[in-house]
Amino acid sequence: MVAGLNDRDKQELQQFVQSESQKAQIQSAIHSLTDMCFKKCVTGRVASGKLDRYEEPCMQNCVDRYMDANMLVLRHLDQLRASQ
Amino acid sequence: MADAKQQIMDQVRQQAAISNARALIEKVNEHCFERCVPKPGTSLSSTESTCYTHCMEKYMASWNIVSRQYLAQIQKGVSGAGAAMGGL
Repeated sequence: MVAGLNDRDKQELQQFVQSESQKAQIQSAIHSLTDMCFKKCVTGRVASGKLDRYEEPCMQNCVDRYMDANMLVLRHLDQLRASQ
Repeated sequence: MADAKQQIMDQVRQQAAISNARALIEKVNEHCFERCVPKPGTSLSSTESTCYTHCMEKYMASWNIVSRQYLAQIQKGVSGAGAAMGGL
């Protein structure tokens, strides 16, 4: 199917696939973050379908702190590299 | 031949949606089965089904919150974090 496409279409497709794969990567990160944070934040009995007033901010903090921690690792690695 | 391009794009989008849905279903089952069916009986009791419904809604609400929060974070330009998360 790809063989019959002209160069412009091929280029457009390449860009499209690239952006789709970036989207998929982000989505997969969201899946694993949800997995991780749900485990940490929703610990009580599942009594209603809504997140309660502790769970909701906990989920938000969980994402934010994960990003902070992630940055910490990157910065630390950067320091290690610089001190060599 | 514009049709072929459109066809490929639709197919890619569809595959992405399917794999996203599949991942969500898998995670919901993983968490909610653990929570709601601690001791499997001969059938799913009404308490268990109710718990499952709530759990499912809760998980999807959580997914939406995480999605919003995460996207806000990467848009804020936490440089490099997006790439580093790719391995997750």
